[in-house]
Amino acid sequence: MTAAGATAPNRRRWHVAEETRWAFIFLLPWIVGFVIFIAGPMLASLYLSFTDYNVIRAPELVGLDNYQQLMRDRRIPLSLGNTLFYALLHVPLLIIISLFLASLLVRVGRAAGAFRTAFYLPNVTPAVAVGTLFLLLLAGGGLLNRVLGVFGIDGPTWLTDPTWVKPGIVIMSLWTLGSTVIILFAAMRNVPVELYEAATIDGAGTWKQFRHITLPFISGALFFVLIVNTIASLQIFAEVYTMFFASRSGPAQDSALFYTIYLFQKAFQDLDLGYASAMAWLLFVIILIITAFQVWGSRRFVYYAGDDK
Amino acid sequence: MLTRRPLGLAMALVLSLVVAACSTSEGTPAASAPAPGGSAPAASPGGSAPAGSPGAGGANISGDLQVLARYGCEPAPCEPSGEGAADEIAYTRYNVFAEQYPDVTLDFTESDFDAQAFLTSVAAGNPADVVRMDRAIIGTYVAEGALEPLDQCISNMGIDMSQYRQPAVDAVTVDGSVYGIPEFYDSRIILVNDSVVEGAGLTSADIDTSDWDKLAQVNEQLLQKEGDTPSRIGFDPKLPEFLPLWAKANGADIISADGKTSQLEDPKVIEALTYANSLIAAHGSGAAFNDFKTNGPGGVDFFGPDNQFKADTLGAMPMEQWYLNVLANNTPDESISFQPFKDRQGNNISFSGGSTWVIPASADNKDAACEFMRVVTLPDTWFAAAKVRADTRAADGEAFTGVYTGNTLADERIFGELVTEESAGAYFPGVQLVQETADVAFSLPPVPAAEEFQRIWQGAVNAVVNDGADPTQALTQADQEAQDAIDSAQ
Amino acid sequence: MTVQTSGVGGAPPPASVTAATTARAAAKPAAETRTPGMIVRRILYFAALFGATLIFVFPFIWLVSASLKTRQTVFNNDLFPFPLHFENYARIFEVVPLGNWFLNSTIVSVLAATTVTISSAIVAFGFAYFRFPGRNVLFWLVLASMMLPGAVMLVPNFLIWNALGQVNSPTFAPLWAGNLFGSAFYIFLLRQFFLGLPRELFEAARVDGASYPRMFWSIALPLTRAALIVVFIFELRAAWTDLMRPLIFLRDLALFTLPQGLNYLVKIYNPQGGGQGEFHLVMAASVIITLPMILIFFVAQRYFIEGIATTGSKG
Repeated sequence: MTAAGATAPNRRRWHVAEETRWAFIFLLPWIVGFVIFIAGPMLASLYLSFTDYNVIRAPELVGLDNYQQLMRDRRIPLSLGNTLFYALLHVPLLIIISLFLASLLVRVGRAAGAFRTAFYLPNVTPAVAVGTLFLLLLAGGGLLNRVLGVFGIDGPTWLTDPTWVKPGIVIMSLWTLGSTVIILFAAMRNVPVELYEAATIDGAGTWKQFRHITLPFISGALFFVLIVNTIASLQIFAEVYTMFFASRSGPAQDSALFYTIYLFQKAFQDLDLGYASAMAWLLFVIILIITAFQVWGSRRFVYYAGDDK
Repeated sequence: MLTRRPLGLAMALVLSLVVAACSTSEGTPAASAPAPGGSAPAASPGGSAPAGSPGAGGANISGDLQVLARYGCEPAPCEPSGEGAADEIAYTRYNVFAEQYPDVTLDFTESDFDAQAFLTSVAAGNPADVVRMDRAIIGTYVAEGALEPLDQCISNMGIDMSQYRQPAVDAVTVDGSVYGIPEFYDSRIILVNDSVVEGAGLTSADIDTSDWDKLAQVNEQLLQKEGDTPSRIGFDPKLPEFLPLWAKANGADIISADGKTSQLEDPKVIEALTYANSLIAAHGSGAAFNDFKTNGPGGVDFFGPDNQFKADTLGAMPMEQWYLNVLANNTPDESISFQPFKDRQGNNISFSGGSTWVIPASADNKDAACEFMRVVTLPDTWFAAAKVRADTRAADGEAFTGVYTGNTLADERIFGELVTEESAGAYFPGVQLVQETADVAFSLPPVPAAEEFQRIWQGAVNAVVNDGADPTQALTQADQEAQDAIDSAQ
Repeated sequence: MTVQTSGVGGAPPPASVTAATTARAAAKPAAETRTPGMIVRRILYFAALFGATLIFVFPFIWLVSASLKTRQTVFNNDLFPFPLHFENYARIFEVVPLGNWFLNSTIVSVLAATTVTISSAIVAFGFAYFRFPGRNVLFWLVLASMMLPGAVMLVPNFLIWNALGQVNSPTFAPLWAGNLFGSAFYIFLLRQFFLGLPRELFEAARVDGASYPRMFWSIALPLTRAALIVVFIFELRAAWTDLMRPLIFLRDLALFTLPQGLNYLVKIYNPQGGGQGEFHLVMAASVIITLPMILIFFVAQRYFIEGIATTGSKG
């Protein structure tokens, strides 16, 4: 495998090419899957966004009509606003609370097992049951308000009061933060214990240790959690649909009209898949921009031990 | 939360039940297994049915018939046992067809209509041959060209359209062509909680929707609240679902008879909404009212024994008739009386909905589909199914309050022979009243952008009730949006 | 291995600091004394955890208690209903083919989780380790595939599988075969963990003549065992609780998965459709669906800890 110095440039070029080749070999499964199952439908939906398509008849090209309609439709800014508000409320709370819980878990050693299971429990409970439950919990006289009452707070009717509908949904979503806790916990456990011990000897307090040891070390995982949860929050659908839009006639709220719900309505109730596709691509662009911002912003803060980029 | 693309909307169902579901169920977008498939016996025993005679064009009925509806019991063969999954009204009728046409291989899906499933099957080129959907949404599919006009089928197979209730037929007729065969016919009457009403020194007859001022007063007398939060509902006007009924009571319709012109900004409609909303507003805030109604004591056990009549958290409300059966089984001893909904001139009116059988335009076996629709909605077929249910309920000691079939002849027989004072108990007067008002019920005509139209007007009503929006403004804006939607759907 | 202690910044700390810290860490005495302060803090940690646990576990407790009630009492607020109606669980098996559904869900979930873990790990390693032109573009493609709402890809996706003849197929292919190609979420996740492995390890192996696959298999995988288990468990849960795919692709009752079956149960008991509203049975079914996942998760945790322990001090 060693080569004489005289042929060094050749070897380096060959070496690089070999690395690229192997990279693509490793990436091959995803590339194949992407081409078959993702690129196709994505491009199809892009095409459909320029058509009038109701699934029954073949798509008819209509140029920019759908996009123009997007600009005029008052429910677009309404639903976008709802979605962004929700994401802005949900993601930071999610990360902060998960960090807190993960830190606690790290500190209790072996006993953490039972707690971890408890935190993950909501994620494995069927949505049917969860939905029912939260309708009961968030009701005006439900458990949440009763608990608040203990602290002297008069809770609102989370499910029907337009001001409190979205915060109520945030509370429900936060309940399934178990997976984030687990990811952050796994990352925290990777931090070498000696660092904390050395820092303690140096006289650094808990908060300083957290800021200067824990956070940098788990910054990779934090980055992941931030990106993924932002993308997911902007696409929230199932829970909200279940609670507010499922029964044909109920107090469906303008304040609970999230973007993907409106998209679903346009696609499958109004049979306007062309318009829905245009909506989807608008959301895609928005998410892309937000993610790009997050990536650019995190460059300064994310540190990987094994990556010298 | 951290899931792949959350889109499973079907968990809808439990919620739609717990959350005071006062809608004409079948066809909720809550999803289900899609079109063709399901396993069902081709011709299984279980239905003791005198079959209707084969139709006029009965010559070539054979092959595979895919039905987008639930067969009604699994695993087959069915045991019409009480506590369980069996839907006697469904499988008994299907068995009638199966016995008459042993050459046809029946294939049922395991679910009710679901838009995603239906559309994907159409896109894949193999939709079911006959589909059951809610009459309320048929307008959309007709406008999109998804359904086969049935005039040919009706004359070929000799389907007698006069046996079906006129409002139901109107609801499936677009531009003079019939697109569906109606099935089921629910209508609404007012249920009165005697203990609450009498406790306030009133009588059942005081619940009278023909005199709006008086009703408002009665509402005030019956309701109870603490500050802005109700602790008992007086009269629940059932907004948003029943807006069409209130509008009709005021002499207006929310949409023109041909389904093409929105009339939401008609001053009489606005007046109706303003009035109905005032009944709610008397309880405090609309949001608090809705919350109490759904989640308060009584409301939360809507389908159970501690419902709002037992808990006395409700004075009176208009309601679909199927709730009578729920009440009869859960609170048979509660004293409940019945009043018709009246318009302001004092005439009885009601609002009706239900399902319909339709044939997708790209179905394969349209002849068999047509004959299927004819046979399962014959009076004899209906009667056979109702009898099975009546017997089952009697054997289990449960109430039987009838089946509202949409077929006048069937109804006459069922309510004449099967529904008795004994089977319906204290709810017999209610059952009778439903029968009487069935004839004066109206339905919304098929609307080209049916679901969007409904979302728009219900959204406007919700904005008024929960958000304090101004009725005139809300309905005017809704009218504009609705008209745009209807126009672009054609 | 390099030890980092610097602030919240992207740059690794200067070597002198790390060396000094390591030295000091190695030199400190091993014994730990339990001060009263530490005990109090430990108690506080446990108290906070218990509080949080209660919040997360309560709904499940409610679910279990609801499953042991009768139809009439299902929605009352009693947490401890007596008598306990265990027969609800037996009844469920009579009414619907729950055993079949259980089997189906197991097959689908195990296949989905296994395939996605392996394939995602392979792809993630490709992104994490190698330098090659187009690396960033491709990774952005991976991210982008998470950004388009699924609703609009539904119809094209269905058509693809339909063309392959896999709708309503006993192979359950549409429910798991997509995972043979990796999944953006897990690729991203595992990439992060692979990036956390020190490059020196790989360089050393390269020098020794190891091939890339060998490095992947013998170095990368063992060191990220915890993350791999996380991926497996997550996908297991996702496939186990997925409702959308089965609804679109499975049509025979015997082929249903558990969530789909639960949905079916709810539908047939709909009082508006003539059912009798047997919610206590629905709750029992919910518990049956949830329990296996909890047990698996609880058991798998030990491997988390073990896996993590071995990645601890990489001296």
